[in-house]
Amino acid sequence: MSEAAGQAVPAQRGGAGETLRRVLPFAAIFGAGLILPAVSNDYWTLIATRAAIYWILVSGLNLVVGFAGQLAIGWVAMLTLGAYTTSVLALGNVLPPVPVFAAFAAAALVGATFGLIVGLPALRLRTFYFAMTTLGFATIVTQVALAWQSVTGGGIGVPGPVLPEPLDTTLGFYLFCLALAAFCTWMTANVAHSRFGRSLVATRDAEVAAEASGISKPRLLGPVFLFSGAIAGIAGGLFATLQSYITPEAFTFDLSVLFFIAILIGGRGSILGPLIATVVLTWLPEFAAPLVVWSTFLYATLLLVIVLAVPGGIAALLDFKNRRPLESSRAILPRPELLPEILGRRPASGGGITLRDVVLSFGGVRAIDGLDLTIEPGQVHGLIGPNGSGKTTTLNVICGFNTPEAGGATLDGAPLRPGTPQTRAPSGIARTFQTPRLIGEASVLQNVMVGGAIRGQGTFLESLLSLPRHHADEAMLREDALLALRTVGLEPLAEVRADRLQHSELRFMEIARTLMLRPRFLLLDEPAAGLSADEIRRLGALIRAISRQGTGVLLVEHHADLIFEICDRVTVLNLGRVLAAGTPAEIRVHQEVVSAYLGA
Amino acid sequence: MKVTRRALSLGGAGLAATASGVARPAIAQSEPIRVGWLAALTGPSSAPAIGFDRGVRHAVDAINAAGGVRGRKIELLVRDTQGDPTKAVNAAQEMISRARVHAIWGPTNSGESLATTPIMARAKMPDIHPCFVDSLIDPAKYPNAFRLAPSNSQIDDAVSDYGVQVMKLKRFAVIGDTTGYGTTTVASSSAAFAKRGADVVYKATVDATQPDVTPDMLRMRNAGAEAVAVWSVSPGLISRLMNTRADMGWDVPFIGHPTMGAGEVGRLIAKPENWRKTYILGFKNCSYGPDGKLPAHVQEFVDRTRGKIELNDTILWWVLCGVDAIDLIARAVQEAGSTDATAIIRYWNTVNNYPGLYASYSWSPDNHNGLPQTDLVMSEANTQRLGAYKLAPGYA
Amino acid sequence: MFVAIMMSGLAIGAVYAMIGVTYNVMFSASRVMSFTAGQLGMLGGVLGAAFIDVLGMPAILGFVLTLAACALAGVLTEIVAVRPVLKSLEQHLYVLSTLALALMIQQFVAIQWSTEPQPFPRLLDFGGGGPGDEKFWLPILACLVTVVGLEVLYRHTLVGRAFLAIAEDNFAARALGLPERNLRMASYALAGVIGGLAGFASGQLLLAFFANGALLNFYGFVPVALGGLGNNRGAIISGLVLGVFQQAANFTFGGVFASVAVFAVFIVVLLAAPQGLFGAPAQRRV
Repeated sequence: MSEAAGQAVPAQRGGAGETLRRVLPFAAIFGAGLILPAVSNDYWTLIATRAAIYWILVSGLNLVVGFAGQLAIGWVAMLTLGAYTTSVLALGNVLPPVPVFAAFAAAALVGATFGLIVGLPALRLRTFYFAMTTLGFATIVTQVALAWQSVTGGGIGVPGPVLPEPLDTTLGFYLFCLALAAFCTWMTANVAHSRFGRSLVATRDAEVAAEASGISKPRLLGPVFLFSGAIAGIAGGLFATLQSYITPEAFTFDLSVLFFIAILIGGRGSILGPLIATVVLTWLPEFAAPLVVWSTFLYATLLLVIVLAVPGGIAALLDFKNRRPLESSRAILPRPELLPEILGRRPASGGGITLRDVVLSFGGVRAIDGLDLTIEPGQVHGLIGPNGSGKTTTLNVICGFNTPEAGGATLDGAPLRPGTPQTRAPSGIARTFQTPRLIGEASVLQNVMVGGAIRGQGTFLESLLSLPRHHADEAMLREDALLALRTVGLEPLAEVRADRLQHSELRFMEIARTLMLRPRFLLLDEPAAGLSADEIRRLGALIRAISRQGTGVLLVEHHADLIFEICDRVTVLNLGRVLAAGTPAEIRVHQEVVSAYLGA
Repeated sequence: MKVTRRALSLGGAGLAATASGVARPAIAQSEPIRVGWLAALTGPSSAPAIGFDRGVRHAVDAINAAGGVRGRKIELLVRDTQGDPTKAVNAAQEMISRARVHAIWGPTNSGESLATTPIMARAKMPDIHPCFVDSLIDPAKYPNAFRLAPSNSQIDDAVSDYGVQVMKLKRFAVIGDTTGYGTTTVASSSAAFAKRGADVVYKATVDATQPDVTPDMLRMRNAGAEAVAVWSVSPGLISRLMNTRADMGWDVPFIGHPTMGAGEVGRLIAKPENWRKTYILGFKNCSYGPDGKLPAHVQEFVDRTRGKIELNDTILWWVLCGVDAIDLIARAVQEAGSTDATAIIRYWNTVNNYPGLYASYSWSPDNHNGLPQTDLVMSEANTQRLGAYKLAPGYA
Repeated sequence: MFVAIMMSGLAIGAVYAMIGVTYNVMFSASRVMSFTAGQLGMLGGVLGAAFIDVLGMPAILGFVLTLAACALAGVLTEIVAVRPVLKSLEQHLYVLSTLALALMIQQFVAIQWSTEPQPFPRLLDFGGGGPGDEKFWLPILACLVTVVGLEVLYRHTLVGRAFLAIAEDNFAARALGLPERNLRMASYALAGVIGGLAGFASGQLLLAFFANGALLNFYGFVPVALGGLGNNRGAIISGLVLGVFQQAANFTFGGVFASVAVFAVFIVVLLAAPQGLFGAPAQRRV
């Protein structure tokens, strides 16, 4: 995350110095690229052209692999498709020849289509499965290219397209590729610094938190696969132009490995890292002849070393800012008085969340056995009970992660559909998790901004091209996130990587994230676990203040003191059934509760 | 060399170009003749390049030991392309722009050559290569490219001539592996059989990694094939075909690709007799006559280099072709009196019946296919000795 | 003809099935799908040929040494590519570490052994080449041995039960005081032996060829995907069916279309039933 998405500081706000610091490495690389032809020969220009073309593909794939964390190891298939589409259309051996730029557009279209087709199984398949399907697809594409002789020329191949003047010279073509590479870098950086980029990383590192924040994976990944496929298709056309002649042999699995490994060596969630890695990996085999033979072995070794020793890749090595030590004696000082600014702007709330006769078992064990529960707006509802009594499961039923066998949850009388956790956030239901779900490599501010992802107005395309609505969204989300952080008392840590925070700070960060939704209902899963007495007191005050703004809070907790201090109502669960329900005062004296649970 | 390098770093590409144009004649007299050799020395299908390489190195050493060409030594610049077109393009450009060679020999496989040929043509780089694909040679488009080996259509003609006219068979199955070479050649070879009035009763490509080829063989037999034309460079696939042929008890001849005679095939087949009735494309100069001797001048070369060039684990024509390639470059510099690209190409265009070891070559401004059809013969696959084969039955 | 297709289909299917079991054994011990599964099969063939053909060892010694070396390769996978990433929060790091190791093994063999397929010795000289040849029934026999062996191991030995306990519930098993790490290493050694056995038994069918690793990786994974993760019975049945289907497709369509057909069936089944046809335990997410 470090230098790219890690700093979601929009240019207009981050100050000229910050922007410069971020842009400088890219400017240096592309500047060096511009000078290269003047100080070397056509050979190095060719290698640089190759690196630029590979980067065009890798920059798009980076969103899939580096940001969304989808292990697409067979992306060379898109290069193949793009190369053949461009070449065949420009040559005119099937249809009448089309102008070369139209052929490139067609390649982008074909790449986008297949990017989507190959990418969509990612919604259903787990990591290794997805990796295997992309690998299988890459094999099939090559085989079809071989067999479909009338179109692809089979093993003889087809000549690559020839660009019009002045792009048909070594230098002209190189500068064209370099400009496209810079353009792609800019586009992917825009996405990285948008709510889409953050959401992608969130689905990668904290999928359930992303769903609870209302991020819909299909709607998020769809445009990414389209975009990534499209620019891979264009890269394919450029590759065919560079090779001047393409045969299926040119599209080796080694090439696919290069693309994939460049991203991981560069660092997931970074743009600069993969760019450096792409250039280095393209150049490495040219550096010394023996490396040609051992190049793939070398790439693999590099990958292993990176995974085991530097999981953050080059980007982590370059991330100097987050090596500075943090202040060790820091306190979380929430400012509940700011809550009206956040929650006061909501539309007036209606009814409550109601659970009726919910039954749910896990492998024969009844986790919930006929539960009734109502969460009223503006109240704090405590849910206590021994381990395994069904507290978190209740929460998961409300959030749609668990599907009950009987009964169900309603909001304002309308049923909350089970199995659709991403629909809860738009209904104003937010939650935290027993184990905080965070994006470790992203800044605290970023993590909080993820919570407001669904409030953005701009589309993926607008972010890609950095259009006004993208900037408006970014400014709004950033402002709100800072306000939320100020409210929970974490503002000084806004720019720190989230995985450097203490456990208690992460609990407050999760609350800040939920505040981004301006929730009507807030479900907190053991927020006081691991907090000091002081922190628990401040947390209590914060929760209480949130409820006073009209938000209904469901508080799952073990700390009886906290429950009795801030709750308006308390429900005690035992073995999935309601043991007792009432005001804290009633529960405190409830015979069974006292003997079975409170032990006092 | 040093002078050009400095010019390069001081003045950039533009100046370097002028520098080489103006300054070269002055240093040309003593400068070595730089020959680029694009070889797939490692990776799959590296066997031919390893064979060529032995001949190339022998020829370079021999010429340099004899004092070079017009007093200039030959400097060999080798780059391993691994059979990967991408690496071949990089390597070709390196030879042209960085090493600034005077002529290039290679690449050695068609996939690579298809990609490098336009690049070399753009740089007007004199190039000889042994790749089979017809479209690689086109004196109008690529006036710089010359072929030392047969073209695919020559090979198709030779094999189908043998099947139809010498063996007098009518019904053929044509199969290849699923590589670029295999798929393409299945199509062209089928056309060649059809042109001679034979029936192509079965036509398919087989994945070289397919563990069992019984289904394919059964279909060929069911289709009534009298002979099978095999186009694959995969010893694994070829040996499976031979073993399956024996297991089925099907007495059908195989004709086609020289790989069927490779030593690997001999080691992969289950029984030595599975190798019988297999006739591969060969070359007159590299075939043992009824007396067990090669043509005189080739026999003399083999005898002379015995112990210096290992022939047991390679194919003779690869080695001889490598020698011829270097000789033809050296001869061009000798005759043209310069390493100027146009001078080399001009000389090659006049080569007529040049008595090489591998074949007798003739090139002209409108024909850059050097090998005469009469040099192509068929050999018996299981008769390899020192990289050469016995002529197949049917040759007088 | 039918017999020929069935025999070659079952033989190659048995190899796929065993590689599928190799995947499963590693997965059960560690929840890790390893790209080295297919490479173990490749090593079985290459090492068998190296020991017996190149070094001239007696077949039985070569066999034992091959299995030992593959067991070692399995343990190496555990130590190098699995153990270091198990603790990581990042669920998928193992995909990368095992991919890296698999590529390293494959490239090393390609460079040091050969990029061309090399012969694998005949072991018993039985069957004379027809459909009853040893190259067909040796893999089937090896698959049977694996099935029976695993059954005996899991049902009748203490170690086997410990394996099952680990597979069922990692945390609970550790809480019971089972030596989780040693059991995991033993599982990887076992996976190595099964993969090596698959490669050795199919040596004559697939030859000693470095690229078999990638091939087996894919075709060995298909039975796992179809049969359900961790489900050995599903893997065996799916593997055998896949082998016969592939050979039948080879016969009916030939060449490229057979691969396309296998891939299409794989994708369709996977999308329709991501848990596989025989089911696999669902995982809790929250």
